[in-house]
Amino acid sequence: MFMADISRRRFVQAFGAVAATSSFALAGCGAQRASEADGSAAAGGTADTITFAQGADPRGLDPAYVDDGESAKIMCNIYDTLLRYDTETCDIVPGLAELPDVSDDGLTYTFTLQGGVKFHDGTDCNAEAVMTSIVRQLEPERTEDMPYASFVFGSEASNSGVASVEAPDDTTLVITLRAASTPFIKNMAMALAAPVVAPSAIEAGDSNENPIGSGPYKFVSWNKGENVVLEANEDYWDADHMPQTKNVIFRFIAENSSRVTALNNGEVDIIDGIDASVVPTITDAGNELFEEDGMNINYMAFRNDEGAFSTLEARRAFCQAVNVEEMVESLYGDYAGVATSVMPLWMAPYDEDIQQTAYDPETAKAAFAELGITSCTMLTYTNPRPYNSIGGQALAEAIQGYLADAGVDMEIVSYDWTTYQTKIETDAFDCCLYGWVGDNGDPDNFMNLLADENVSMNVGRYRSDAYNALIQQGLATPEGDERDNIYKQCEQMVADEMPWMLISHSKNLAGYSPKVKGFYYHPTGVVHLEGVTKEA
Amino acid sequence: MLKYILKRILLAIPVLLGVSIIVFLIMRVFSADPAPVVLGQHATAEAMEAWRDANGLNDPLIVQYFNFLTGALTGNLGESYYTHTPVTQELLSRFPATVELALVAIVIAAVAGVALGVVSATHKNSPIDGLATILALVGVSMPIFWLGVLLIILFAGVFHILPSSGRIDPLLQPVGGTGLYLIDTLLMGDFEAFADAASHIVLPALALSMYSMAVITRMTRSSMLETLNEDYVRTARAKGLKKRRVDIHHALRNAMLPVTTVIGLQLGSLLGGAMLTETVFAWPGIGKYVVDCILKSDFPVVQGAVLLIGVIFIVINLVVDVIYAYLDPRITYTKEEG
Amino acid sequence: MAAAVAELKGAGPEGAPEARPAEKTESLWKDVWYALRQNVPAMVSLVVIVLLALVAIVTFVAPGILPYDPYQQDLSASFEGPSMAHWFGTDQQGRDIFCRILIGSQISLTVGLLSVAISLTIGVALGAIAGYKGGVVDTIIMRCMDMMLAIPSILLAIAFMAALGRGIDKAIIAIGFVSIPEYARIVRSQVLAVKQSDYVAAARVIGDSDATIIFRHVLPNVMPSIIVRATLGISSAILDAAALGFLGLGVQPPAAEWGDMLGRGRNYIFAAPHAMIFPGLAITVTVLAFNLLGDGIRDAFDPKSRAR
Repeated sequence: MFMADISRRRFVQAFGAVAATSSFALAGCGAQRASEADGSAAAGGTADTITFAQGADPRGLDPAYVDDGESAKIMCNIYDTLLRYDTETCDIVPGLAELPDVSDDGLTYTFTLQGGVKFHDGTDCNAEAVMTSIVRQLEPERTEDMPYASFVFGSEASNSGVASVEAPDDTTLVITLRAASTPFIKNMAMALAAPVVAPSAIEAGDSNENPIGSGPYKFVSWNKGENVVLEANEDYWDADHMPQTKNVIFRFIAENSSRVTALNNGEVDIIDGIDASVVPTITDAGNELFEEDGMNINYMAFRNDEGAFSTLEARRAFCQAVNVEEMVESLYGDYAGVATSVMPLWMAPYDEDIQQTAYDPETAKAAFAELGITSCTMLTYTNPRPYNSIGGQALAEAIQGYLADAGVDMEIVSYDWTTYQTKIETDAFDCCLYGWVGDNGDPDNFMNLLADENVSMNVGRYRSDAYNALIQQGLATPEGDERDNIYKQCEQMVADEMPWMLISHSKNLAGYSPKVKGFYYHPTGVVHLEGVTKEA
Repeated sequence: MLKYILKRILLAIPVLLGVSIIVFLIMRVFSADPAPVVLGQHATAEAMEAWRDANGLNDPLIVQYFNFLTGALTGNLGESYYTHTPVTQELLSRFPATVELALVAIVIAAVAGVALGVVSATHKNSPIDGLATILALVGVSMPIFWLGVLLIILFAGVFHILPSSGRIDPLLQPVGGTGLYLIDTLLMGDFEAFADAASHIVLPALALSMYSMAVITRMTRSSMLETLNEDYVRTARAKGLKKRRVDIHHALRNAMLPVTTVIGLQLGSLLGGAMLTETVFAWPGIGKYVVDCILKSDFPVVQGAVLLIGVIFIVINLVVDVIYAYLDPRITYTKEEG
Repeated sequence: MAAAVAELKGAGPEGAPEARPAEKTESLWKDVWYALRQNVPAMVSLVVIVLLALVAIVTFVAPGILPYDPYQQDLSASFEGPSMAHWFGTDQQGRDIFCRILIGSQISLTVGLLSVAISLTIGVALGAIAGYKGGVVDTIIMRCMDMMLAIPSILLAIAFMAALGRGIDKAIIAIGFVSIPEYARIVRSQVLAVKQSDYVAAARVIGDSDATIIFRHVLPNVMPSIIVRATLGISSAILDAAALGFLGLGVQPPAAEWGDMLGRGRNYIFAAPHAMIFPGLAITVTVLAFNLLGDGIRDAFDPKSRAR
């Protein structure tokens, strides 16, 4: 047999040669760096890259199709909004447009846009484009996978929100509402639904994966599960908000401890999703801690429509079984406060005398026994969230511990956050953990959740005509005592009917390298990075 | 030789088919109905039935299997339930990361394992031997994920000398090429990127290599001890050849035969360990992806990934067998032809 | 085969031997036991394993003996470091980690023993049949085994768990199932060797049935290899179970399982390293003990090493 003549050595050589050529042939396809950046310091002593590590991938990068903070943090750097929030508050300042002229009946808003603004792909960002970006989210074009569309732009059914949009010329945009709405103007600055997406990206149909906006940073790439890379938009129209750093990278590191390691190790510059247990680790390593009251609520929603807790008695027993105060103190330390109302008190000082159901384990135990409730299922997420820094698993298990004391066996079913948001709409459960980060500083933004038809907002499926009527009334009432009073009634209804068990209001926490300057975590949970720099 | 190789390849085909059957059975027969997973539990019975019809889940099992098999052969492994992207594409994009990690790990394991094994065999019952034995025992007894976390604490958390997660600085990431960053960056002559990629791979590769290193050390030691006792080695020594020369040139070369096989087989088993290592180090390979997908019941992906890894495993075994057959003078494969 | 399992469980100081329908085994087992006793690491491991088994049994029968309820949360005592009161500290929910590790031995040992029992029973049966019958039966069985071996066992176990759903019972089945081929292979090759021997031929001549021959003559002779493999198999089953727990596929909270405890502790490696270090140590020590014991038994069976 012929091959038997070949010496063993030659066989090995041949084998090696084949392996080497094939790998060279593959390599010959031409590898190159993803970016031109060389990682070294730019002139002026500032680094050319800032890396922000967060807990999870964005769900998508088109503001019409997503509803989560991880997406918002990235998108707010890619897109512009008609109006903006002030750096540290939710006061409205001009954005792509000046503050609008509002007609006396409160129905017609006339915006004057910046002229000559271009999207990142060079197409015009004019009134027509803004209109396209809005109209796709209005009925009848609106599709079911636009979670924020009805929230921001209203709906026919509720006779609220935007009736029509017109673009009489390149720089004028006229929005007509169905009914007067106090929060509408604030909605126009939101990081979800409101940002202006280039019509070219919408047409291409992959705006969730390849976003095109007009903001200070341009989208470069998204490696799923790893990172999103953005680069400075050198032609940004707004001289006051020019991007100061050439590259911005968002990295996704699921575990809190891994993110802290990455920060302390210099792999990343800024991290969020910090829990009390790692704060000393961050500060001991010489990093800075950002700490401000957050605009959020960490809650557990009952299934109000079916399951073990569809009755008020069962929900009350549950709330009595859990020592929320002890739990919050133990799990979050100094970095979250017990929630006594849906909105944090700094947002709504008029709510301070509202009381939630008090801890009363004996009564709870008796009530559960009487109701015959011995087991239940809780759905939870695993990742840390802005309102729940330790992640859903630990919180769920703490609640499970209290319920066990009250004689109820709780099964915990957990998913990563992205999957969780799908499961919450499809799976059967008795209660689930959820939370909310305020988008615009308006009480409607919090209280509306319980009136929303969309189950991804109203995960507990709470339905109350009386409550919905209050919400409608609040929308149309101008800011002032009367409006405050309406929302106070809403808060009272939540305390009385317990569609949710309120848990905590978390502080906004972020850790960052002392070299990072100009960092601010906005109360709405987004981070504008255009003004942030890092010393080389 | 050629005949032997052909025979081995032919024998591998039924095994490959069998693997596809096992994978198919696990995912289609034992697992829950995917319709509610995809459509939601509140979807109507008609909608679910329609979905099953559209996706061929109501066909007889044999037809389903045939469809799965023809799909797999043409590179079509279906779509992810969640992202609706083709599974093949998702797996291929993550494949190089896993290959790179496994290759670096096997190199570490082979070099360190053989070295330790030789030293402890030639210095039998010395403290070095004892140390190597303990290391080998602890290596096979320590959970790989625990070791990984301990390495992170030590090298990233305490000493700050190595990165704790990820594969490369995103800005230095090579695009195109083999997907093996260590090779791509070298071919580009981009040494900064190479150093960055290398620093990222050290800890995961070390964690992953530990088990194999232990196995290889033990194998090398016992195989080496055996050959050191053989007559020709004793003769060589008796003839006055230097100990080191005898050890290396005579004993090691012969002892390497079984060790080669073990190294080859370990390469396959590294693919299993890679799932845990990748999860700990957030290494963007197939292992981490599969774990993520299992946690969300994304069956087409799990099915495709298990099949892919099974195929690679079989191919590695095949190659190891062939190399072994050629290297081992005691095996004759041309007997029939005289 | 059930006898083999029972014997494994009772691998206490009295050792394996007695009650065996054997040809010449009585003295062999004595020799083995004698050789094993000279092996210090193996004996230490045996003691560790026996202690662990005692802990598992005692905490199961009388959980009240533990100083703390391992399931009772006390959020006011969250993440306390090791102290006189809590030797291994407390976890996030303020539960005593030492107690949870003790009670966790129940799950780890159960998984180890039961999954090995599954793979042993099925694997030995298949291997014996394949080796004894030969021909087509052999080819079919061993091809199937090859197919299973072609997938890394932890991956196959995970795939099983993905299909069956989470839970420790499913983990036992998954882990037990995936190591069937190893036993089948060992038994088959031993059976092939024994089949040719004179005493089997003799048994056949006097008209013993196949089953009788397999059980009375063949299996006792392959027992040494099986015992060694099973001991090592328990260690790898414990490792695999820990891996499943670590990935979150194991137990439902609040159950205590070492891999699961480690996985959770991982989120707090800086604030509470003890929450991760001690469960990892428990796994390593247990696995090490079974490995050392397995090695010791192997050496004890090996005439060469016994002669040394």
